[in-house]
Amino acid sequence: MPDSAETLPDTVPGVLKTEDAPQASLWKDAFHRMVRRVDVLIAALLILAAVAMALFPTLFTDADPRSCSGRLAKQRPETWFTGDHPLGTDAFGCDFAAKLVYGTRPTLLLAVTVILISVLIGLVMGILSGYYGGWTDAVISRALEVFMVVPFLLGALLLLALFRGRSSSEDLIPSVAPAALALSVFGWMEFARYVRAATIETRNLDYVAAARCLGAKDRRIMFRHIMPNAIVPVTAIVPTTVGGIIVTESVLAVLGLGIRPPATSWGILLAEGTGWAAGGYLYLLAWPMAFLLITVFAFATFGDALRDALDPKLR
Amino acid sequence: MGRYVIRRLLQALLTLGLVLFLMHWLMALSVQVRGNPARLFFGDRTPNAAALAQVEAMYNLDDSCYDRIGDPCVMPFVERLQAYAAGDFGTTLRGNRDVGELLAISIPNTLRLFAFSIITLVVLAMVFGSWAARHRGRLQDHAVRGGTILVDSVPVFLIMLIYTSLIAVPLTRWVRGIFGDEAAIGQLFRPTYDVDYPWMTIIIPGLLLGTAGLASMTRLVRASQLENYHADFVRTAHAKGLSRSRVARVHIVRNSLIPVVTAIGYNFAFILTGAVVTEGIVQIPGMGQLLWNALLTTEVSIVITSFVIIAVVVLAVNLLVDLLYAVLDPRIRYA
Repeated sequence: MPDSAETLPDTVPGVLKTEDAPQASLWKDAFHRMVRRVDVLIAALLILAAVAMALFPTLFTDADPRSCSGRLAKQRPETWFTGDHPLGTDAFGCDFAAKLVYGTRPTLLLAVTVILISVLIGLVMGILSGYYGGWTDAVISRALEVFMVVPFLLGALLLLALFRGRSSSEDLIPSVAPAALALSVFGWMEFARYVRAATIETRNLDYVAAARCLGAKDRRIMFRHIMPNAIVPVTAIVPTTVGGIIVTESVLAVLGLGIRPPATSWGILLAEGTGWAAGGYLYLLAWPMAFLLITVFAFATFGDALRDALDPKLR
Repeated sequence: MGRYVIRRLLQALLTLGLVLFLMHWLMALSVQVRGNPARLFFGDRTPNAAALAQVEAMYNLDDSCYDRIGDPCVMPFVERLQAYAAGDFGTTLRGNRDVGELLAISIPNTLRLFAFSIITLVVLAMVFGSWAARHRGRLQDHAVRGGTILVDSVPVFLIMLIYTSLIAVPLTRWVRGIFGDEAAIGQLFRPTYDVDYPWMTIIIPGLLLGTAGLASMTRLVRASQLENYHADFVRTAHAKGLSRSRVARVHIVRNSLIPVVTAIGYNFAFILTGAVVTEGIVQIPGMGQLLWNALLTTEVSIVITSFVIIAVVVLAVNLLVDLLYAVLDPRIRYA
């Protein structure tokens, strides 16, 4: 059979060969746009530094935050970044730099836990209510509204105040868990709302109908076809929310309900520092504040840019 | 419109009922897990069984469901609802004070704090948002964006703490040095609330509280104004020869108010949270402080009533926002 008539010419005007054409994806575009911005790079570096501090505290300080002696209490950081106590010592004679560095892990662990649980609940609730509609939607939407009516911090306060125990443990997880759970219970609604809206938008698109015609089950449609779309608006608000959680933890710490001692967090150091700041020990307030603010600011800047980069209207 | 309002009202009532029940259940659970708060009545003394039972009966905590963990305590819930319907919000365990009276004293203080902070938030967001929109992509735009994010990343409680512990005292001294000790303006920068100057001493905390949520609000104003700058109706308005200021006032600003109104509705709960923290630090005897102290001492009646009030306010504001939509946007009509 002569095949000369059937082969297409190598280049057809107006038609791109699919295998060679660079695939434009939302995530790749967003990544390229983020990398080009200086403020985003600085924010990412700051976040990375905080994460490194949480994972490998020994890289940043040699001192042990638990070895304290009253003789050394409240030494001002006169030697500036050198000597035995680069940032001075706190009211109990502990090395302040070590406390700051070791306080990073509980702070970030709490934020990450809360965001993971909230996103998970939000995704499942949002997809279920958006996909099935009807009764499922009515029930979930009502639950959403009930939780929305109680403000985030106040709800967490309520739970922590009502069920606070007096036990304290050396392990990290029991000291972080109560605050993390309380914040997660009142933190998932925003994600659920975004996911629900995205699901309703996606549900009736042609490709979903095509998948259904091919015999895909509900669960497959929800998690393989709809979720990739629904996850975009969620990702866009995650960094900003992480910053918000870090702040909320510090409010809880000031009120004495956050992460439990002996684990320290920046919030706890801040709460302790305010008492000493007016008495001339400003550095006990200034350092945890600086750590907290820089981290939150980095998350906020990063989140702001990510939201713009993932916004299809601005592409 | 009428049907829409009725449907929304019914929905809000249902939500309110659910919130009430959830609160009640949480409280019951707390009593079941942690022990009966009626013991608070006796302070440090250990009561004998008969006296404890009497006090439990006095505060409606004697139902046997309070001994079974997980029991939602439906009967006490019904009793509570009946009491609310009769206008009785219960009494406190300590001091036996009427909760309704306590709330009546503290709510006006919170409202005044609120008024200042909402006005601050809206004015700042409008000014900066419009400014950024007019200079889109230029230095002013970036400065507004960075500045508001920076202000927003400083938590409200931190601003308050820094203000009261470090800034307020020197400022007061400075102002009094100029105007004299007796001048009312000397009270402006007092670090704590003063009953004798209920307005003067609430202004600065209100202003500071208003900076919470500034970044998102400013971004909203900017985005919605940008959208309207290029809208067809703005071009038409220019084409038919309206003055620049009229176009800006009637066509751009009015239309960009819609998302702002929504955002105020959604931020309401957020600002309320800030108010609780602010009241705690500046010692304003408002609802936030009342609620906070009640949480610490497990004053069941105060906690439930406060949360119900918060729920009612948030629901009412959200309803109002949805109705305001129709007023502000001629395209939206509720059937």
